[in-house]
Amino acid sequence: VSTPATQAGQRQPTLLASCARATTAAEARYRISYPGFARRSSRVIALGGQSEQSVREMGGRSWGGGHFLVFESAVPGDALLRHAESGGTALLSEELEGADTVVMVASAGATAEAASIIGDAAAARGIMSAGLVLPGSGDSVNEVVSALRPNAMVLVVLKDVADVPKVLSALRV
Amino acid sequence: MLKQEINELLTQTGPGTPMGDMFRQYWIPALLAEELEEDDCPPVRVKLLSERLIAFRDTEGRYGLMDEFCAHRGVSLWFGRNEESGLRCSYHGWKYDVNGQCVEIPSEPDERRSSLCAKIKLKSYPLVKIGDVLWTYMGDPAKTPDLPQWEFSRVPAEQSYTSKRWQECNWLQALEGGIDSSHVSWLHSDGLRDDPLFKGAQGNKYNLADLKPFFEVAESDGGLFIGVRRNAEEGHYYWRITPWVMPSFTMIPPRGDHPIHGHFWIPIDDENCWVFTYDYHPVRPLSAAEVQAMRDGKGVHNEFVPGTYRPLQNKDNDYLMDRAAQKRGDTYSGVKGISMQDASLQESMGPIVDRTKERLVSTDSGIIMARRKLWRAVEALREQGVTPPGVDVAHQAVRSAAVVLPKDQSFVEGCADALRVRPGEKHASV
Repeated sequence: VSTPATQAGQRQPTLLASCARATTAAEARYRISYPGFARRSSRVIALGGQSEQSVREMGGRSWGGGHFLVFESAVPGDALLRHAESGGTALLSEELEGADTVVMVASAGATAEAASIIGDAAAARGIMSAGLVLPGSGDSVNEVVSALRPNAMVLVVLKDVADVPKVLSALRV
Repeated sequence: MLKQEINELLTQTGPGTPMGDMFRQYWIPALLAEELEEDDCPPVRVKLLSERLIAFRDTEGRYGLMDEFCAHRGVSLWFGRNEESGLRCSYHGWKYDVNGQCVEIPSEPDERRSSLCAKIKLKSYPLVKIGDVLWTYMGDPAKTPDLPQWEFSRVPAEQSYTSKRWQECNWLQALEGGIDSSHVSWLHSDGLRDDPLFKGAQGNKYNLADLKPFFEVAESDGGLFIGVRRNAEEGHYYWRITPWVMPSFTMIPPRGDHPIHGHFWIPIDDENCWVFTYDYHPVRPLSAAEVQAMRDGKGVHNEFVPGTYRPLQNKDNDYLMDRAAQKRGDTYSGVKGISMQDASLQESMGPIVDRTKERLVSTDSGIIMARRKLWRAVEALREQGVTPPGVDVAHQAVRSAAVVLPKDQSFVEGCADALRVRPGEKHASV
């Protein structure tokens, strides 16, 4: 192993595994295989319109613990949500307990009010909020994006509705 | 997270692989023009997309890129003689022109030479100089696309500067660093203060004042626009917008009147890539001080081991890690320079990172969408022969932008003009 130029008084690496050259595929075998994290707890909430159908379809699949919900209405200081699969209702505040990510799925017809209630509630609890905007006509997409922008730390504008489950899968929802 | 088979699909670019087939739809940077600086200069060994090739410039100034090995006994033509309009193997004198056509076999009787030569042709690819770069197309000759039109390579020579460096990891994890806008506030936080190619821009103040940016990802015809917004003056956001054009072109948002810069990430093989780094100004020559700064490794360039394209800071010297500078806050990671701050971390992930084990978060949405678009394009090419995004030169006419917009304005709408090439007009930058 060649010796790196290090600062005075700093011990230099003597083995391959203790220097930056330990990036070979062979050395990768020694990486510790341990999950190192608890299961993610995500809430995927449709804000109305076509997004309801998309979320209902996804709710019927097998996920890593995420809850799939539909925004029903605002209630004083809270919001009423409906579980996409069971049809049961829950308050937003209840659903956000223990949640670490909220993904809003929005399409034409989504209301700024819904995005605002969910975004504010997530921000107040320190929960990461993201928004997925489904494809639509130019004006309708712009309206949805404007409604979501102040309320989602990350916004993704999609051209293909089939990308929604792929994005959620990548996020281990 | 990606399934292992998808990770392999996206990272393997050798002949016959799905992603390799897709890369072979594009004109890609092969070498810097300075590597073949004069007629009959020494040939250069090049490995691209896991193919070993030899590049040379013949007596008439024509460029050639072909199989590195002589058809006769498999000798490397790097040992050859570049003379009289061809590259001659040093072993038995077989000679090839820039198209790989054998034109001379000295050991054969005269009357047989021409007929035998005609039957011997090395695999070759076109090599074309545009700007500072020699470009090649390694796909089906019948489907050769229009020559590349990237603005950095089409402006007058004095307005552009390009360097290249070897990065010791797979192309995709290097590219993903280029579209991962969320790491900038951390890893590169030192760059805005004192780098001569960044400092002094109004936008830097917004960057430093708001360390919790919001992200917005929008699909474009050629790939993605990745917007990052921070608070600006009352009622306004400061937007920095990075275009990614498939498969591996990115452009970093500009700062003030500094030149614009970005990268091409080109697979050498599955565990190494070339990073071509360009800097250009759309309307004015680069100043002597700017070019010197680029040569000195400032901005997104880097210093080199003399006589090579290997970064001076590399894995053999722990990237010249400086813990004292890290502790003082001069650098965030202890590694100096933006490009090597990126490369050191990307190489530390291993030659091909195991994406089945990663834990992406929503700020990684640009990366997630880029992978999705690559995957979709690979499938469309493989199953229906659809030309992938980015081949069409119209997709290449993009610019990055750094702008202040009213809060209710979409960056895609508000920057529609700023995000496309406007010849003779300055880039949108604050």
